[in-house]
Amino acid sequence: MRYLIIMILLGLSLTAGELRFEHDFKTALQKAKEQKKEVMMIYSAVWCPECSYMKEVAFKDKALSEYIQTHYVVLSLDIEKDKLPEGFDYPGLPTFFFLDDNGKEQHKVIGGDKAGKFLKRLEALR
Amino acid sequence: MKIVFVAVLIWGTLLSAFDAKDLQQLKEDGDCALCDLSYADLSGLDLVMADLRDANLSHANLSNTHAHKADFTNADLSDALFVDANLKGASFVGAILKHVNFYEAKLWKVDFSRSKIERCNFDESALGSAIFDKNDLRDSTFKGAILYKTVFHKTVLGIPK
Repeated sequence: MRYLIIMILLGLSLTAGELRFEHDFKTALQKAKEQKKEVMMIYSAVWCPECSYMKEVAFKDKALSEYIQTHYVVLSLDIEKDKLPEGFDYPGLPTFFFLDDNGKEQHKVIGGDKAGKFLKRLEALR
Repeated sequence: MKIVFVAVLIWGTLLSAFDAKDLQQLKEDGDCALCDLSYADLSGLDLVMADLRDANLSHANLSNTHAHKADFTNADLSDALFVDANLKGASFVGAILKHVNFYEAKLWKVDFSRSKIERCNFDESALGSAIFDKNDLRDSTFKGAILYKTVFHKTVLGIPK
Protein backbone atom coordinates (compact mmCIF):
# COMPACT_ATOMS: atom_id res chain seq x y z
CA MET A 1 0.00 0.00 0.00
CA ARG A 2 2.84 2.36 0.93
CA TYR A 3 4.57 1.64 -2.38
CA LEU A 4 1.33 2.32 -4.25
CA ILE A 5 1.00 5.74 -2.61
CA ILE A 6 4.64 6.52 -3.35
CA MET A 7 4.17 5.49 -6.99
CA ILE A 8 1.04 7.64 -7.34
CA LEU A 9 2.78 10.65 -5.77
CA LEU A 10 5.82 10.10 -7.99
CA GLY A 11 3.59 9.91 -11.05
CA LEU A 12 1.77 13.09 -10.07
CA SER A 13 5.03 14.96 -9.50
CA LEU A 14 6.40 13.85 -12.88
CA THR A 15 3.32 15.04 -14.76
CA ALA A 16 2.75 18.18 -12.68
CA GLY A 17 4.56 20.51 -15.08
CA GLU A 18 3.18 18.96 -18.26
CA LEU A 19 0.73 20.79 -20.41
CA ARG A 20 -2.81 19.53 -20.71
CA PHE A 21 -4.30 19.75 -24.17
CA GLU A 22 -7.92 20.24 -25.07
CA HIS A 23 -9.07 18.94 -28.44
CA ASP A 24 -12.46 20.60 -28.78
CA PHE A 25 -12.87 24.27 -29.65
CA LYS A 26 -16.04 24.88 -27.65
CA THR A 27 -14.77 23.07 -24.58
CA ALA A 28 -11.55 25.08 -24.68
CA LEU A 29 -13.47 28.36 -24.88
CA GLN A 30 -15.73 27.31 -22.02
CA LYS A 31 -12.74 26.40 -19.84
CA ALA A 32 -11.02 29.67 -20.74
CA LYS A 33 -14.11 31.59 -19.59
CA GLU A 34 -14.32 29.62 -16.36
CA GLN A 35 -10.63 30.00 -15.61
CA LYS A 36 -10.40 33.61 -16.86
CA LYS A 37 -7.66 32.69 -19.31
CA GLU A 38 -7.07 33.03 -23.03
CA VAL A 39 -6.87 30.13 -25.47
CA MET A 40 -3.68 29.06 -27.20
CA MET A 41 -4.86 27.08 -30.21
CA ILE A 42 -2.12 24.98 -31.82
CA TYR A 43 -2.62 23.80 -35.38
CA SER A 44 -0.15 21.05 -36.13
CA ALA A 45 0.45 17.66 -37.75
CA VAL A 46 2.07 14.43 -36.63
CA TRP A 47 4.33 14.42 -39.71
CA CYS A 48 5.64 17.93 -38.95
CA PRO A 49 8.93 17.65 -37.02
CA GLU A 50 8.72 21.22 -35.82
CA CYS A 51 5.31 20.45 -34.27
CA SER A 52 6.63 17.30 -32.58
CA TYR A 53 9.63 19.20 -31.27
CA MET A 54 7.35 21.74 -29.61
CA LYS A 55 5.24 19.05 -27.91
CA GLU A 56 8.03 16.62 -27.05
CA VAL A 57 10.81 19.05 -26.13
CA ALA A 58 9.94 22.74 -25.84
CA PHE A 59 6.67 22.32 -23.91
CA LYS A 60 8.45 20.07 -21.39
CA ASP A 61 10.50 23.07 -20.31
CA LYS A 62 9.33 24.01 -16.83
CA ALA A 63 9.37 27.80 -17.24
CA LEU A 64 7.54 27.67 -20.57
CA SER A 65 4.92 25.13 -19.53
CA GLU A 66 4.23 27.02 -16.29
CA TYR A 67 3.83 30.27 -18.18
CA ILE A 68 1.44 28.68 -20.67
CA GLN A 69 -0.59 26.98 -17.95
CA THR A 70 -0.87 30.24 -16.03
CA HIS A 71 -2.19 32.25 -18.97
CA TYR A 72 -3.79 29.85 -21.43
CA VAL A 73 -6.08 26.92 -21.96
CA VAL A 74 -4.27 24.94 -24.65
CA LEU A 75 -6.27 23.64 -27.59
CA SER A 76 -4.43 21.24 -29.88
CA LEU A 77 -5.86 20.58 -33.34
CA ASP A 78 -4.40 18.16 -35.87
CA ILE A 79 -4.59 19.02 -39.55
CA GLU A 80 -5.36 15.38 -40.41
CA LYS A 81 -8.25 15.04 -37.98
CA ASP A 82 -9.58 18.46 -37.07
CA LYS A 83 -11.00 21.22 -39.19
CA LEU A 84 -9.68 24.65 -38.31
CA PRO A 85 -12.62 26.70 -36.97
CA GLU A 86 -14.14 29.11 -39.46
CA GLY A 87 -12.40 32.47 -39.84
CA PHE A 88 -8.91 31.21 -39.04
CA ASP A 89 -6.13 31.01 -41.57
CA TYR A 90 -2.79 29.27 -41.21
CA PRO A 91 0.27 30.01 -43.37
CA GLY A 92 2.28 27.03 -42.17
CA LEU A 93 2.68 24.45 -39.45
CA PRO A 94 2.77 24.76 -36.57
CA THR A 95 0.67 27.89 -36.14
CA PHE A 96 -0.20 29.14 -32.66
CA PHE A 97 -3.36 31.24 -32.45
CA PHE A 98 -4.05 33.27 -29.34
CA LEU A 99 -7.75 33.84 -28.74
CA ASP A 100 -9.76 35.72 -26.18
CA ASP A 101 -12.42 33.77 -24.30
CA ASN A 102 -14.94 34.66 -27.03
CA GLY A 103 -12.82 32.88 -29.60
CA LYS A 104 -11.57 36.03 -31.31
CA GLU A 105 -8.03 35.89 -32.65
CA GLN A 106 -5.72 38.31 -30.85
CA HIS A 107 -2.34 37.16 -32.10
CA LYS A 108 -0.77 34.51 -34.26
CA VAL A 109 2.71 32.98 -34.01
CA ILE A 110 3.98 30.92 -36.91
CA GLY A 111 6.59 28.26 -36.31
CA GLY A 112 8.12 26.79 -33.22
CA ASP A 113 11.29 27.66 -31.39
CA LYS A 114 13.46 26.67 -28.48
CA ALA A 115 11.67 26.97 -25.15
CA GLY A 116 13.49 30.11 -24.01
CA LYS A 117 12.94 31.95 -27.27
CA PHE A 118 9.32 30.83 -27.52
CA LEU A 119 8.69 32.05 -24.00
CA LYS A 120 10.07 35.48 -24.94
CA ARG A 121 7.71 35.56 -27.93
CA LEU A 122 4.77 34.76 -25.67
CA GLU A 123 5.77 37.38 -23.12
CA ALA A 124 6.00 39.97 -25.89
CA LEU A 125 2.37 39.28 -26.82
CA ARG A 126 1.05 40.34 -23.44
CA MET B 1 49.80 53.14 -62.93
CA LYS B 2 46.66 54.22 -64.78
CA ILE B 3 46.45 50.81 -66.48
CA VAL B 4 46.70 49.03 -63.14
CA PHE B 5 43.95 51.23 -61.70
CA VAL B 6 41.63 50.53 -64.67
CA ALA B 7 42.39 46.81 -64.50
CA VAL B 8 41.56 46.71 -60.78
CA LEU B 9 38.35 48.63 -61.44
CA ILE B 10 37.28 46.25 -64.23
CA TRP B 11 38.24 43.20 -62.17
CA GLY B 12 36.28 44.55 -59.20
CA THR B 13 33.24 45.25 -61.35
CA LEU B 14 33.36 41.77 -62.87
CA LEU B 15 33.77 40.23 -59.45
CA SER B 16 30.78 41.95 -57.89
CA ALA B 17 28.45 41.77 -60.86
CA PHE B 18 25.56 39.35 -61.04
CA ASP B 19 23.51 39.08 -64.18
CA ALA B 20 20.74 41.69 -63.92
CA LYS B 21 18.53 39.65 -66.27
CA ASP B 22 18.92 36.64 -64.01
CA LEU B 23 17.89 38.67 -60.98
CA GLN B 24 14.86 39.96 -62.85
CA GLN B 25 13.96 36.42 -63.88
CA LEU B 26 14.16 35.23 -60.28
CA LYS B 27 11.95 38.07 -59.08
CA GLU B 28 9.39 37.59 -61.84
CA ASP B 29 9.28 33.80 -62.17
CA GLY B 30 10.49 32.72 -58.76
CA ASP B 31 12.89 30.32 -60.50
CA CYS B 32 16.38 30.75 -61.82
CA ALA B 33 18.27 27.51 -62.39
CA LEU B 34 21.84 27.94 -63.70
CA CYS B 35 21.65 31.70 -63.09
CA ASP B 36 24.44 33.98 -62.01
CA LEU B 37 23.23 35.65 -58.82
CA SER B 38 26.61 36.03 -57.18
CA TYR B 39 26.83 38.99 -54.81
CA ALA B 40 23.11 39.68 -55.28
CA ASP B 41 21.08 41.08 -52.42
CA LEU B 42 18.09 38.75 -52.19
CA SER B 43 17.36 39.42 -48.54
CA GLY B 44 13.71 39.15 -47.54
CA LEU B 45 12.61 37.78 -50.93
CA ASP B 46 9.87 35.18 -51.32
CA LEU B 47 11.72 32.18 -52.74
CA VAL B 48 9.20 29.50 -51.76
CA MET B 49 9.79 26.42 -53.93
CA ALA B 50 12.23 28.38 -56.10
CA ASP B 51 14.28 26.36 -58.56
CA LEU B 52 17.86 27.52 -58.04
CA ARG B 53 19.61 24.36 -59.13
CA ASP B 54 23.21 24.89 -60.32
CA ALA B 55 22.90 28.64 -59.72
CA ASN B 56 25.88 30.74 -58.72
CA LEU B 57 24.83 32.35 -55.44
CA SER B 58 28.30 32.88 -54.06
CA HIS B 59 28.47 35.91 -51.72
CA ALA B 60 24.71 36.42 -52.15
CA ASN B 61 22.69 37.75 -49.26
CA LEU B 62 19.67 35.51 -48.66
CA SER B 63 19.04 36.57 -45.08
CA ASN B 64 15.40 36.60 -43.97
CA THR B 65 14.26 34.96 -47.20
CA HIS B 66 11.19 32.71 -47.22
CA ALA B 67 12.52 29.76 -49.14
CA HIS B 68 10.45 26.73 -48.06
CA LYS B 69 11.23 23.75 -50.26
CA ALA B 70 13.55 25.80 -52.47
CA ASP B 71 15.91 23.72 -54.59
CA PHE B 72 19.59 24.68 -54.28
CA THR B 73 20.85 21.37 -55.69
CA ASN B 74 24.47 21.74 -56.90
CA ALA B 75 24.35 25.53 -56.42
CA ASP B 76 27.49 27.44 -55.46
CA LEU B 77 26.70 29.19 -52.17
CA SER B 78 30.23 30.05 -51.08
CA ASP B 79 30.18 32.91 -48.54
CA ALA B 80 26.40 33.26 -48.83
CA LEU B 81 24.31 34.64 -45.97
CA PHE B 82 21.16 32.83 -44.81
CA VAL B 83 20.78 34.56 -41.43
CA ASP B 84 17.26 33.97 -40.03
CA ALA B 85 16.12 32.56 -43.37
CA ASN B 86 13.19 30.15 -43.50
CA LEU B 87 14.41 27.15 -45.49
CA LYS B 88 12.11 24.36 -44.30
CA GLY B 89 12.27 21.37 -46.60
CA ALA B 90 14.85 22.97 -48.92
CA SER B 91 17.39 20.89 -50.81
CA PHE B 92 21.11 21.62 -50.73
CA VAL B 93 22.06 18.27 -52.26
CA GLY B 94 25.53 18.52 -53.81
CA ALA B 95 25.71 22.28 -53.17
CA ILE B 96 28.94 24.11 -52.38
CA LEU B 97 28.54 25.46 -48.86
CA LYS B 98 31.84 27.10 -48.04
CA HIS B 99 31.75 29.61 -45.21
CA VAL B 100 27.95 29.95 -45.32
CA ASN B 101 26.22 31.71 -42.44
CA PHE B 102 23.02 29.90 -41.39
CA TYR B 103 22.72 31.70 -38.03
CA GLU B 104 19.16 31.33 -36.63
CA ALA B 105 17.96 29.86 -39.93
CA LYS B 106 14.97 27.48 -39.94
CA LEU B 107 16.40 24.35 -41.53
CA TRP B 108 13.75 21.77 -40.60
CA LYS B 109 13.86 18.76 -42.94
CA VAL B 110 16.56 20.30 -45.13
CA ASP B 111 18.58 17.83 -47.18
CA PHE B 112 22.33 18.49 -47.06
CA SER B 113 23.32 15.18 -48.66
CA ARG B 114 26.63 15.31 -50.54
CA SER B 115 26.96 19.06 -50.06
CA LYS B 116 30.50 20.36 -49.67
CA ILE B 117 30.26 21.91 -46.21
CA GLU B 118 33.23 23.95 -45.01
CA ARG B 119 33.40 26.40 -42.08
CA CYS B 120 29.65 26.96 -41.97
CA ASN B 121 27.90 28.67 -39.08
CA PHE B 122 24.82 26.70 -37.97
CA ASP B 123 24.66 28.40 -34.55
CA GLU B 124 21.12 28.82 -33.14
CA SER B 125 19.64 27.30 -36.29
CA ALA B 126 16.82 24.74 -36.24
CA LEU B 127 18.05 21.55 -37.91
CA GLY B 128 15.28 19.21 -36.77
CA SER B 129 14.88 16.22 -39.12
CA ALA B 130 17.52 17.67 -41.46
CA ILE B 131 19.58 15.10 -43.34
CA PHE B 132 23.37 15.00 -43.47
CA ASP B 133 25.04 12.40 -45.66
CA LYS B 134 28.60 12.38 -47.00
CA ASN B 135 29.53 15.71 -45.38
CA ASP B 136 32.51 16.93 -43.39
CA LEU B 137 31.24 19.00 -40.46
CA ARG B 138 34.49 19.16 -38.52
CA ASP B 139 35.13 22.87 -39.01
CA SER B 140 31.51 24.05 -38.83
CA THR B 141 29.79 25.28 -35.67
CA PHE B 142 26.44 24.19 -34.20
CA LYS B 143 26.27 26.15 -30.93
CA GLY B 144 22.69 26.24 -29.63
CA ALA B 145 21.31 24.56 -32.76
CA ILE B 146 18.18 22.38 -32.53
CA LEU B 147 19.32 18.87 -33.48
CA TYR B 148 16.01 17.14 -32.76
CA LYS B 149 15.75 13.98 -34.87
CA THR B 150 18.48 15.29 -37.19
CA VAL B 151 19.74 12.47 -39.39
CA PHE B 152 23.53 12.06 -39.48
CA HIS B 153 24.49 9.15 -41.68
CA LYS B 154 27.61 7.15 -40.88
CA THR B 155 29.37 8.83 -43.80
CA VAL B 156 29.39 12.18 -41.97
CA LEU B 157 32.61 13.40 -40.35
CA GLY B 158 32.49 15.55 -37.22
CA ILE B 159 28.92 14.86 -36.10
CA PRO B 160 28.01 17.52 -33.50
CA LYS B 161 27.23 16.27 -30.01
